[in-house]
Amino acid sequence: MSEPLFLFDLLLALAVVAIAAAALLVRDAFAMIVLFVVFGLLSALAWVRLAAPDVALAEAAIGTGLTGALLLKTLHHLRARGMAGWEPGAAAPRPVPRAVASLNAGLTLAVVAGLGVAILGSPLRVTGLEIAVAEAMPLSGVDNPVTAVLLNFRAYDTLMEVVVLLAAIIVVWQVERGADAAPAPSLGPIWQGFARLTLPAAAIVGVYLLWAGAEAPGGAFQGGAMLAAIGLMLLLTGLYRPHPDHRATARLLFVLGTVAFAAVALLVAGAGRASFEYPQGHAKTLILLIEGLVTISIAVTLTALFHGREPAALKGELRHDP
Amino acid sequence: MTGPDWLTLSIMLPLFGAVAAFILPRAAAGLGLATVAATTLCVLMMADRVAAFGAVTVPLGGWGAPLGIELRADGLSVAMLALTGMVGLLVSVSAIDAFAGDRTARQRHYFWPLWLLLLSGLNGVYLGTDLFNLYVMIEIIALAAVGLTVLGGTREALRAGLDYVYASILGALLFLLGVGLIYLQLGRLDFAGVIAAPPSAAMTAALAVMFVGLALKTALFPLHVWLPAAHANAAAPASALLSGLVVKGALYIVLRLAGYMPALTEDILTLIGLMGAGAVIWGGIQALRADRLKLLVAWSTVAQIGLIFVALARAGERGLSDSWKAAALLILAHGIAKAAMFLAAGRIKDEVGHDRIRDLDRSPIRPTLAQVTFALAAINLIGLPPSLGFIGKWQLMEGAMMAGYWHWVAITMIGTLFSVAYFSRVLAGFLRFDRVRGGPLAEHHGWSGADAAPLILAGAAVLLGLAAGPIIAFIDLGAGGAMP
Amino acid sequence: MTPDLIYGAAGLAVFGIGLWGAIALQDRMRRLLGLKLCSVGAGFVLIVGAWREPPAAPDPVPHALVITGIVVMLSATAAALALIRRLHDLEAADDRA
Repeated sequence: MSEPLFLFDLLLALAVVAIAAAALLVRDAFAMIVLFVVFGLLSALAWVRLAAPDVALAEAAIGTGLTGALLLKTLHHLRARGMAGWEPGAAAPRPVPRAVASLNAGLTLAVVAGLGVAILGSPLRVTGLEIAVAEAMPLSGVDNPVTAVLLNFRAYDTLMEVVVLLAAIIVVWQVERGADAAPAPSLGPIWQGFARLTLPAAAIVGVYLLWAGAEAPGGAFQGGAMLAAIGLMLLLTGLYRPHPDHRATARLLFVLGTVAFAAVALLVAGAGRASFEYPQGHAKTLILLIEGLVTISIAVTLTALFHGREPAALKGELRHDP
Repeated sequence: MTGPDWLTLSIMLPLFGAVAAFILPRAAAGLGLATVAATTLCVLMMADRVAAFGAVTVPLGGWGAPLGIELRADGLSVAMLALTGMVGLLVSVSAIDAFAGDRTARQRHYFWPLWLLLLSGLNGVYLGTDLFNLYVMIEIIALAAVGLTVLGGTREALRAGLDYVYASILGALLFLLGVGLIYLQLGRLDFAGVIAAPPSAAMTAALAVMFVGLALKTALFPLHVWLPAAHANAAAPASALLSGLVVKGALYIVLRLAGYMPALTEDILTLIGLMGAGAVIWGGIQALRADRLKLLVAWSTVAQIGLIFVALARAGERGLSDSWKAAALLILAHGIAKAAMFLAAGRIKDEVGHDRIRDLDRSPIRPTLAQVTFALAAINLIGLPPSLGFIGKWQLMEGAMMAGYWHWVAITMIGTLFSVAYFSRVLAGFLRFDRVRGGPLAEHHGWSGADAAPLILAGAAVLLGLAAGPIIAFIDLGAGGAMP
Repeated sequence: MTPDLIYGAAGLAVFGIGLWGAIALQDRMRRLLGLKLCSVGAGFVLIVGAWREPPAAPDPVPHALVITGIVVMLSATAAALALIRRLHDLEAADDRA
């Protein structure tokens, strides 16, 4: 290991830890979100150093970008409705006693230190599953090992992950339905022009990422996130306004990925094959089909998660139960 | 694997049902009930298969563990699936009644997709053999359960729901950290790999982190603080699902992992047992102090989960099998009886108009059927013969006495006394409706699906005690591969 | 000192900081941020588990798991934030009344 890189790793790791702590401790809420975004991007950089570019891309796009957008939107909402329940002082009905706070900190420290000691004290790991993956790659139908794990070897996990996303949008629509229309955050006219210019480019990048996922880093989730970023721009610039009439279509798009994925998983079974076992020679086609439809669902769902509220409901449905 | 893949179907059917109910909200109730019935049928077919051949394994994608993910059904899995199917079906029936009418249209439209997603997640947990897959499943359960908690949309429900979200996500993330640490050690995440792992400090650390996460999700004392408000403020069918089924998901994983903890020392087990004992006592005290019926029932859940952990701690100490079975029986008994009790409590609240325990016997309305149901469920939870709860407690005490663990016997007795005391607060009131002065007693609203379903559940829990022998034998089926 | 050790320690530290934030802080968004830090910390542990001394290629399985974990965490975050917004509205309405 060459010296400058070692120094780089050390500084980057220290920065990640320091900014994580700073994000929680900083007083201003907006600064908290900015620090969080910096933290996320530095973590992604660290993951690139650990030879995980696909994961770094996902963390930057979804874990940091979209999460940051969600946090900003929520902050905007809370500030638009008065600050009560937001600023640290006002939020706490009863401030945490110093003794409890230090007890918590001590407890956490003990847990982390204990874990560190226990791990260092044990023999270091054996090889993981890379050999098994390498042996199965020719049969997987794709060339990128991460894509092969996501959509073939552990496709069941990935289906369930899409289901988690579906569950989230159902919960969000359920919680915020009937909430009166909040002042939507919006960008000025200059940004509208900017968005008009960049949207086509971003769309092309999203589609490319999806296609590239079969060989190079990229894939459904990063592609979906990229397309969702376009959705966010459309919402923020007001180029697209959700309308109650669009709800049925939106529901169909939310479930598209889940239904297609689960249907393929069940339909390929039979003739000695288990569920999720793609027939010989059809793996690539089926994976691309699933990936394409899942990407659409992911993009629409992520956009809807950002929008939050179900598009203004009909009058009779607006009332909340007492 | 020959014939239809009942394992995958029992996870996928509720998924399709959830999607259908979400797209067609107007038909949600019918679609939902049909889906739950079909899924329960799947479980019965699976039970038949397991009874005939022992454990059934499905290598998803044809890869097999550890590269792929396997589903596995043995006696314990099927027992949990059957519990979920039976309770789910009857809660569904009563939910149709509870959410009928225009006033609850919004709740009805969202109840069904969320409940079916929950069903899919629970079935996935009971069939899962891969630690990371279990993480994804418990997140599905968490999100669906939170949605069910806040169905009513009141401020109290939302507050409880938010606390539940924090506890639930933190529990899942602790579990995920444990998964990461195990991968660091073993390079694989399937159950078979974990069983074969040599004991080491790092494995113990990883399993301990996972245990804390699961204890948080299943509300083991002192990590229970989120549960009473969440379960007490949800709508009745949601409470029944949350208390009867949802906490069992994490409990089941603990029960499975308990068999895989070779490095557990007597001290750690005593600690787990003490947490359980703390729950029994603290939950009992709080149930005695509760002023509302649903809150009392929620606190009794905390106490009874504690008792299950006492059984689990005993399971690790010696010989496993007896106490392990006692824990499994207690889980089944609690799942059925608690769902019935929450439904009954909801009916009482609906008919009387409130659920303040002090004033329940002043009401001119007499919800007789719901009271009978409540009493039957209490018989189970207190552990009177011949109920399933009695058999579970008996197994626990017998094992503890034979091993000379008198302190665990004492805890079980104390828990029983507490449950007699707090349920008496409610039951005594049921027997005295003469405190209403002037005017005749009003009759209850008459039979309905909402009364019948919990009554069947509570009755089944009592009668299943008579079939305890076959149940214990069934739980043991195929356990050879899962237990060391 | 190889990168896996350095970042492994950093990951555990980030998890610890997040854990502290989730249990010790009062502000709703901050607690949620603590949970997000926990998930990144767990991600670090998995990715360190995948790392191999170059030129060996890393193990792709943990990478896939972390990608799944990121999407799951975003879903949970979105649901929690919706609850926070709705609850804030209800409480603000109560304050006005």
